[in-house]
Parts: sequence; structure tokens; C-alpha cells
Amino acid sequence: MNDTVTIQTRKFITNQLLQRKQMVIDVLHLRTSTVPGREIQEKTAKMYKTTPDVIFVFGFRTHFGGGKTTGFGMIYNSLDYGKKNEPKHRLARQGLYEKKKTSRKQRKEHKNRKNKAVGTAKANVGAGKKSKESRFCNDYLQ
Amino acid sequence: MAAPGVLESDFSSAVTLLKNLQEQVMAVTAHVQALTKRVQAGAYPTEKGLSFLEVKDQLLLMYLMDLSHLILNKASGGSLQGHAAVLRLVEIRTVLEKLRPLDQKLKYQIDKLVKTAVTGSLSENDPLRFKPHPSNMMSKLSSDEEEEGEAEDGQSEASGKKSTKSKKYVPPRLVPVHYDETEAEREKKRLERAKRRALSSSVIRELKEQYSDAPEEIRDARHPHVTRQSQEDQHRINYEESMMVRLSVSKREKGRRKRAHVMSSQLHSLTHFSDISALTGGAAHLDEDQNPIKKRKKILKKGRKKKGFRRRR
Repeated sequence: MNDTVTIQTRKFITNQLLQRKQMVIDVLHLRTSTVPGREIQEKTAKMYKTTPDVIFVFGFRTHFGGGKTTGFGMIYNSLDYGKKNEPKHRLARQGLYEKKKTSRKQRKEHKNRKNKAVGTAKANVGAGKKSKESRFCNDYLQ
Repeated sequence: MAAPGVLESDFSSAVTLLKNLQEQVMAVTAHVQALTKRVQAGAYPTEKGLSFLEVKDQLLLMYLMDLSHLILNKASGGSLQGHAAVLRLVEIRTVLEKLRPLDQKLKYQIDKLVKTAVTGSLSENDPLRFKPHPSNMMSKLSSDEEEEGEAEDGQSEASGKKSTKSKKYVPPRLVPVHYDETEAEREKKRLERAKRRALSSSVIRELKEQYSDAPEEIRDARHPHVTRQSQEDQHRINYEESMMVRLSVSKREKGRRKRAHVMSSQLHSLTHFSDISALTGGAAHLDEDQNPIKKRKKILKKGRKKKGFRRRR
């Protein structure tokens, strides 16, 4: 009875330009559901004798009928290189990067308000409430 | 022996034929003697010609000699049984027949050369005139680097037409033709395509196998759509693994994949045959549980220009 998870790697390339090793990862998991990415990360770390934080895995697709999943993995030479070369969404999955949460509409409104001001006043353009207040005061005073 | 009545009616025609023969033989002899005199005088030099044509000439001459020898033999009452000249004739004939495909391949070149020899120059719209002339591409300036650089640039051009006599640039005469496909032509094309599809259907293929003499081939019988789809899938997988990206699958691709998968797993092809009405001339007819053929109408609606984006179907 084979209910363990086996990891095999293929197409192993040492990419010196991006300071990493990249490969295709085959996960064999008979009679279990698809293995989550964290577990695959840890198992690859054990295989290649590194810490799991320099390993980034992605793109896992399970074959029809189950039992086998194929994905990609990258092992960086150090975490600094990883932070430099890896795309932001994959860093965010590991918690090394936080995306700013402003919505698209807010950003566009802020930009349009900024375009109305000239020179150093551009820096003073803050959130919506403030600028309405200042406009009201100006009108009232005049 | 033939009856005397037949002999008498043949007599007059035989006499006229013999007279004709005599006249023609005299004309031919005179012609051949004139030709031989000119050849011996060296009016037809063939050193610079195509050796293939030379071989053909010699073979034809040998054939003629053997043939005339045999005619002489036969005319003086000898038999042709086991004559050595017959074997030689057969050999020359086979060689000539084997030369015929070569002849076909060289036909274009020979025609071109002959035309050039006769007219003295190439015609104006001849595509050969558009081949690159690297010597014309080099600039005539004194500096060597410029010449080399320009020569390299010029050689990468596909069509550089320049006649060596005049320096004036004459652009090639290419006239755009108006596209005018009528409904009738479209119908014809559609019919042709349907015919081609019908020819490769399983019914026609089995008929062909039944009546042809070729040995029967037994293959790992997969539907051609299925093999095509599996090849494309394999190509996609190879690309994904070497580039380490995941490609998105469009709706069409998904549909194609699903159809190919379904085709290989169902027994659909056992009872449903493709439509061969294009060959039989009947109306297009489908089995009851097959989807109806949808005709694509390309009529554009009037106010469709600005409303909404292009919707991908």
C-alpha cells in the first residue's frame, strides 16, 4: 500500500544569470488529493538540503485521473537573490512582500485631483475630504 | 494466301503507296545528306551545350541506325528473330524512357535558354531579372569599408533589379488586382472542400481498400483528429516545461480537446458516418442524434460600430 507522497524532479537547469536552480517537479500521490504547495516546498528543501524559504514552487496541475501532479520549482542561491529576481506575487505567497491595498478608483481620483494643482501644491493634495474642505474655505473667504 | 479479288484491289493502292514512299525517301535522303555535310563542316559545335542533350542525341542516332539496319534486313526478306539489333533497340529504348523524367525537370531551364538565345535578352517581366546582383550593390566609392558594409546589406535584399546598361531605376510592374469573389465562387469552393472531406471519410476509405491491389495496412487505428490533438498537446507540454510557464487555454482549444477526448472514448464512430453527399450528389443529411450543421452568416448589422468591445466568441 503506497500512500506516501513521492517527489521527482526533471529538466534540472542551473541558471547562473538569475542565481537559481530551476526544474520541473513531479509529485506522485496515489490515493490522496493534490498535495499543497507548502508541503512540496518542505519536501524539496529536504531533498536539496536547503532551507524552505529560498524555494519557490508554482504552476501545479494534476493529471487526469489523479495520482500525479506536475509543476515548477526554483531554488535560489540566497534569499536576497530570491527577493530580487522572483516576481512579486510569488513573494507575496510566502509573506515577503506586501501589496498596497488602494483600489483602482481611489488611485485615479487622487491622480485627477493632483492634476488640477500646480507646482508645490501637488504635494499637498491628500485624500478627498481635505481638498473639499480647503475649497469650501477658499470660496467662503472670497 | 489471300484471294485474287483482294489482291487486285490492293494492287492499285500498293502502287500509289510505293510511289509516295519513293518520293519521300528521295526527299529524306537529300535532307540527311545536306545535314551530314553541315555537321562534318562543323556548323553545329556542341562542346558548350548541355551534356544531357548530347547523350540524348547520340542515343537517338544509334536508335535510327539500328532501325534502318533492321528495315533493310526485313526488306530483303530476312527474319527479325533473335537479331542482335533488336536487343540493342530495346536497350536504347529503355534508356530513353528513363531519361524522360530528367527531361521534364530540365524542360524549364532549356526553354529559358533557348528563348534567351533566340531573342537575345530576357523579357521585361521575367522574374529572373529580380534576382540579387551583388556586384551592382557595391558602391563605386574608393573606401573599402563602405563597400563591404553595403555589399552585406545588399545581399540580404530579396529583389534588386538593375540592368547593367542603363543606370536609371525602373520599378517592377506589379499591378494590384481587385478581389472579387462572387457567391457562385464561394459555393464552388465550399463544394470542393466538402468533396475533399468526403473523400477522406471512413466509408470511401474502406471502398478504396476493397478495390485496390495494394497490400492491406493494419495500423494503430486512431482517428486523425485525435492524433493531431494529442500531438498538439504534447507540443504544448514540452513548451510549458522548457519555458517554465503555464499557458492559458482558449475556449476553442478546450472544445477541441474535449471533442478529441470524447471521440476516442466513445463508440461514436461505429454507428455514425460522415456525410458523403458532396460525392453522391444528394442533399446533406445527418443522423438524428447528431448536431445540425450551423451556417455562419457574415452579414454585419448596421449600428454595430461603436457599441461595446469586440466580443470573443
